[in-house]
Amino acid sequence: MNYAIVPHWFAGYNAILEMVFFVGTLLVGIYALKVCRLSGQRQSRLFGISFLLISAAYFVQSLLNFAASYSMAEGCGMQAMSIPHNLNIAGIYAYMLLFLAALVTLAYMTLKIKNAKAYLFFLAVITTMLFFSSNKLYFFYVISSILLVYVSFYYLKNYLKSRKTAALIVFIAFLFLLIGKIHFIFSINHGLFYVTGHLLEFVAYALILLNLITVIRRK
Amino acid sequence: MSKKRNRLQIIYDILNVINGKNGKIKQTNILYKSNLSNQMFDGYMDELLQKGFIVENQTKGGKTYSLTQKGFDYLNKYQMIVEFTNSFGLTE
Repeated sequence: MNYAIVPHWFAGYNAILEMVFFVGTLLVGIYALKVCRLSGQRQSRLFGISFLLISAAYFVQSLLNFAASYSMAEGCGMQAMSIPHNLNIAGIYAYMLLFLAALVTLAYMTLKIKNAKAYLFFLAVITTMLFFSSNKLYFFYVISSILLVYVSFYYLKNYLKSRKTAALIVFIAFLFLLIGKIHFIFSINHGLFYVTGHLLEFVAYALILLNLITVIRRK
Repeated sequence: MSKKRNRLQIIYDILNVINGKNGKIKQTNILYKSNLSNQMFDGYMDELLQKGFIVENQTKGGKTYSLTQKGFDYLNKYQMIVEFTNSFGLTE
């Protein structure tokens, strides 16, 4: 498996940022499930589940990167994050599977169809492709980007339909997430892209949280 | 002509009608005031009963409907629900 290159100076900061993403997406997920409980709305439930899956993915990634930055501090210097330990490999797989499941759930939500079989089929195909791809990390970032293109397009249409600032903020947030994921594709060879990817994700989740806070304060 | 109501708005309207005469309103009155077709109305009432927003009461005069705590919560938080679902594109 190939690994993203993390610049030495950024080690540790990446894990902190991922912990911030974990908390932010957890809050959004919990709030969406609260809206689902109040309204009985299926779309909110799917949105909440997808954000809880994203949150779990970042939690796993953050733990992995804390461990990696600790090992780098032990004297490895700038290195490809090649962690031979089986637990770490399992962690990377868990991160990729959780994130892909989240994006599939989000894409399924935007389709507005009620067909559990279609959802499971979609998930099974992507999971199988991930396991059999020769470059798993590359495949993960490419397929995430494709799913995010679809989700971003959905949010663009949502904004054009409503013309509200809140909808525009959410569209821009998903656009940042998409650009961030595209950056990670290049981070396999260049450390700076890895940093930029994290910063773009930070802006994206900050915008989503800002939107959530605005909604909560208006009630 | 008024804008077409979405699902959340229709549920709000039905619950609001019931809230206006809590525990004393009959199905025909709700149907009349909610401005829906018979088929759509039955679908919404079944859903509201099933999800626990309203309860059916048997009285001498026939069946009446009243709100549960979940129904009251929906009415109170309706504006927040609409804001959240609109901004995150969660309308059905």
